[in-house]
Amino acid sequence: MSHGGEGPCDAPNSLEELTCERLILDKLLEFEEGTMPEPERARFRHHLELCPPCVHFLDSYRATGKTLRMLKPKEIPPALARTVLSFVRSRREKKGE
Amino acid sequence: MSEASTPTDLDLVRAIKAGDERAFEEMVERYHARVYSLSYGVLRNAEDAEESTQDTFLTLYRKIGTFDESKKFFSWFYRVALNQAYSRARRRPARTVAIEDYLPRFDESGHVASLEAGDFSQRIEDEAAAKELALRAEEFIAELAPAYRDVIWMNDVEEIPSAEIAETLEISIPAFKSRLHRARLYVRQRLSEITRPSARREAAG
Repeated sequence: MSHGGEGPCDAPNSLEELTCERLILDKLLEFEEGTMPEPERARFRHHLELCPPCVHFLDSYRATGKTLRMLKPKEIPPALARTVLSFVRSRREKKGE
Repeated sequence: MSEASTPTDLDLVRAIKAGDERAFEEMVERYHARVYSLSYGVLRNAEDAEESTQDTFLTLYRKIGTFDESKKFFSWFYRVALNQAYSRARRRPARTVAIEDYLPRFDESGHVASLEAGDFSQRIEDEAAAKELALRAEEFIAELAPAYRDVIWMNDVEEIPSAEIAETLEISIPAFKSRLHRARLYVRQRLSEITRPSARREAAG
């Protein structure tokens, strides 16, 4: 997605247009999930063609996703299931439940 | 409890209600890893997460009679786990950030104001650098208010299906998506701040 352009956003700015703000705050997730309908996707891509800052933003948003996916659920201590069972049993006996 | 096939959650719930000890053991086996990791997401340390996991299963044992069988078990039980972790977290001082301070800024016509430095998308090609950034991302997530922290942890780390997360947290799918997106925007902003060329020079010097 990265390209060499480093200029400002050249996308026209009228009320019906997709501004950087709407694109980033309201539309980006839908675009990335692939649930955005095609006419809107085309407008989204058109904005990107004219707007190096948004391309840059999208690159770093995707890099964020990749970084987060490197995190794995915390591995549980091996004996935890046993500890849980004996803890619950001991508490139950104490309370007479 | 049927011997032939794997019992459903509801089979186990009914068996536990009937006093079947083995069913409770099976429930612990089935859910303890998930409960531990969820608790860790809230509490951020192993000892607290372990104790919270124990309390969660004790609560399960005591409160299972109040579980409404027309509801989904996992969402009821994840809520029990989150509530246990929240109450433990409340006993210590919390420091959370205001997510609004880290959302992208725009000029009055809605354009991105300027190119911010800190493009880490190249940097994560390197595995060691990517791992380091992932650990920082985990710290940033921990600073979020629970409404955002739990959504991004459950979705992006635990990879729990979005419908289950929304149901567990009792929020709508649009609210779930909005929180997830804002949480990711926040992490993106923090990661780009620490990878700015000037920040890297500061860290090196």
